[in-house]
Amino acid sequence: MGIQEQYRSEAAGLLSSGAVKLVIGFGEGSTVERRRPVFVRTPAETERLVLDGGCVANLSTYLLTEGLLSDGKSVAVFLKPDGIRSINILAAEAQLNPEQVVIFGFDIEEGQVRALEGRKASDFAPVIGVAKAAGLSAELQKEAELLDQISAAERFEYWKDQFSKCIKCYACRQVCPMCYCRRCIVDVNQPQWVNTSSHTLGNFEWNIVRAFHLAGRCVACGGCDRSCPVNIPLRLINHRMAKEVLDAFDYYAGECAEQKPVLATFRQDDPETFIL
Amino acid sequence: MAKIGVFVCHCGENIASMVDTANLVAAISEHPGVEICLEYKYFCSDPGQETVKRAVREHNLTGVVVAACSPRMHEQTFRKACAEAGLNPYMLELANIREQCSWVHTDKEEATEKAIEITRSLVEKVKRNNKLYPISVPVTRRAMVIGGGIAGIQAALDIASAGREVVLVEREPSIGGHMSQISETFPTLDCSQCILTPRMVEAVQHPNITVMTYSEVEEVDGYIGNFTVKVRRKARYVRMETCTGCGDCIQKCPVKKIPSEFECGLGNRSAIYTPFAQAVPNVPVIDRSRCTYFKNGKCAICKKTCQIDSIDFDQQDTIETIEVGAIVVATGFQVQNTSLYGEYGYGRYKDVITGLHFERLASASGPTAGKILRPSDGKQPETVVFIQCAGSRDVSKGVRYCSKICCMYTAKHAMLYAHKVHDGDTKIFYMDIRAAGKGYDEFTRRAIEEDHAGYVRGRVSKLYEENGKLIVRGVDMLLGRPVEVAADMVVLATAMVPQPDAKEFAKIIGIGYDEYGFFNEAHLKLRPVETATAGIYLAGACQSPKDIPDSVSQASAAAAKILGLFSREHLEREPVVATVSDSTCAGCWGCATACPYNAIDQRDITDRNGNVIKRVASVNPGLCQGCGTCVSFCRSNSIDLAGFTEKQIFAEVMAL
Repeated sequence: MGIQEQYRSEAAGLLSSGAVKLVIGFGEGSTVERRRPVFVRTPAETERLVLDGGCVANLSTYLLTEGLLSDGKSVAVFLKPDGIRSINILAAEAQLNPEQVVIFGFDIEEGQVRALEGRKASDFAPVIGVAKAAGLSAELQKEAELLDQISAAERFEYWKDQFSKCIKCYACRQVCPMCYCRRCIVDVNQPQWVNTSSHTLGNFEWNIVRAFHLAGRCVACGGCDRSCPVNIPLRLINHRMAKEVLDAFDYYAGECAEQKPVLATFRQDDPETFIL
Repeated sequence: MAKIGVFVCHCGENIASMVDTANLVAAISEHPGVEICLEYKYFCSDPGQETVKRAVREHNLTGVVVAACSPRMHEQTFRKACAEAGLNPYMLELANIREQCSWVHTDKEEATEKAIEITRSLVEKVKRNNKLYPISVPVTRRAMVIGGGIAGIQAALDIASAGREVVLVEREPSIGGHMSQISETFPTLDCSQCILTPRMVEAVQHPNITVMTYSEVEEVDGYIGNFTVKVRRKARYVRMETCTGCGDCIQKCPVKKIPSEFECGLGNRSAIYTPFAQAVPNVPVIDRSRCTYFKNGKCAICKKTCQIDSIDFDQQDTIETIEVGAIVVATGFQVQNTSLYGEYGYGRYKDVITGLHFERLASASGPTAGKILRPSDGKQPETVVFIQCAGSRDVSKGVRYCSKICCMYTAKHAMLYAHKVHDGDTKIFYMDIRAAGKGYDEFTRRAIEEDHAGYVRGRVSKLYEENGKLIVRGVDMLLGRPVEVAADMVVLATAMVPQPDAKEFAKIIGIGYDEYGFFNEAHLKLRPVETATAGIYLAGACQSPKDIPDSVSQASAAAAKILGLFSREHLEREPVVATVSDSTCAGCWGCATACPYNAIDQRDITDRNGNVIKRVASVNPGLCQGCGTCVSFCRSNSIDLAGFTEKQIFAEVMAL
């Protein structure tokens, strides 16, 4: 039995026993290589669940639907290691109770799906440990280094070009599991800190504010990058922030549910190179 | 409708020389909402303040901007003036056109332009100011003094004698500090212990003082009037309640050859010990790292010897939580390790010692019972060389500052030596003799004229051993020629340095420190006793090198500050505190983690049936210090700071 069938039958079991009220997984998309989220509430519907190399989205974001977890019942969700890290961060930030989240863990290697052992977020600590030890994505690192090699002025021009494309659709925010605020800072209009029109200044403000809000929280699931309709390489900004917190504070977002937010804590041996 | 009064101060020439105030007044007068704009030479003067008050009354002003110096200088002055004129004091803003403008620029035209922008920005802010009212918080009228040296003892006694409770915390087994190690004191040559021990006894017997020895402060939370301090009481392994201090255990302890810290290694102590004979309390401690019982479970002779069963090997460290309203930091100093001067041979030659060693040699209670005998062979030295500034005032190797006490104690050492060894010879190498203080210069003159202290102006370049003598090579600058002295003993006047853990300790209690690790006062001249953290005061050599009279004076000053604070049951606090918007708070608790004052709690919002709908952050206004850390952390912008609201700041920025 393949992993897809195994998880289908396990999901059906959880639903029929009432252990979970909902299974959030992947279903067929508009093309063969695309997968879209499906929400399964009955054992029969588990037939719709698909698990293959196209299941890349971080489904943890759907757990934050208002009221979903407030009845105390559990929800099962298909997650890759990055999504499991998201669960840890959301638990650390009191947005969900990790005991309510049953995880169908999997990973994709060269297009092949592999099952991960465990059901609770805490069970996956070894997997996350391995991921941390392997470091940030080498592929991203290579891409990011190209930007480091050019001068600050050229880099500014590069981002100005990229941000000038932004149409403020906020798809990046909607897809991101970390953007759970009921009212986003861009929606504050008394005073209006972030200009809502999509010209370069306001676009800069929005994207930089978002990058800072994700520092030490982004797990590089790539959701924002994939969802951007104008192809702004948001992955590079997020990667840079993740690298900063890893290098400066040995902080790898979502290691465990007890992790304190990196920007709200300090240790006496924190580097203070920027303080005169 | 806003009616703002703007008052442009010349600050004599401080502002007027670099800012065209007439231009500033003309520009601001036209700004919307500005009712009246005046300039004057000194608005902080009495007539200046009267002008502000009159304008507030006559024009029914809704807000006031004083374009002058930093709010740190005169915010209080003008708030008071506004209040006297019937305006809420928080409807005042100071536009800083001095420190942040006139003082730092050289182009008058540009500086004027900047002054206009700064003032305009504050006008826009003050239009959005809200009336605020002080918050009243209760004061815990109990003080903590950290450090039981002479400064700490004095502060504790002064506070206690005024009828307030004091907790005196000392990390060594006995109070007394460095003063208990000193033989005689300058400039009167009275015995240090004779004047100190009565104070020690008075402190420990005082009904208002709780002395906690062998204890260390681990954590300080809270704020002025309401500190919570966690103190670790280290295990003594001797029961304080029952021990009579008979000393039998110390006599019988078989581990005797441990260099005594109190004697600076010149004498020995046992594994169970009191640091010195007059220790207060006179209860020994067991040095766990040296005790045979703790090493291999055997021995326990002390336990067998003790007739009242006061030895308790199972004792554990305990943490006590103590509520206090104010704290005196009197943690003292250490003597710099002089091994950094290879050429002086400290550590290599046994007879090269520090000033503190000499104190122990000269002390009647010391290892030689007050006889000056050199450490190497116990012989009486015939020639003693003193080297001043062995560490102090030395940019390349030591510390930049003057340790302040060395000139005096070196003169004292030369006198004590002359009194004890009548045909002895002294040579003192010095850079300057700094003897400013009551009776100090007379004292050094007495050393030279009556006790024939041989002062040589110059530095020592090299020191080596030859035929049992220490050959000291130096230069006599006044005669302009090299000198060589064959000495039997050399005393280095080492620098006074902060405690090695001073910086870590400062971080624990939340006060500032300088490049060396001495604690910072709030203002070097005008607030030398306070720290920048309200409710925490300094006394003694933890702030800078000090002698006994200075330490005692500062201790009494700190006590006076605390008694002033304790004179009222309530304290009025600035209403500049944060508030959380319940409707938009996402409940991530980042603010609670970030808050340095633990002022943010969780609060449940319930429906009418008591069901929790939402859990949000909630700021305790009594604890909030208005630092704004939570505001900057909050991703959803759900926290606002009274007096510095988002609307105010935004208006300020947009006016630029």
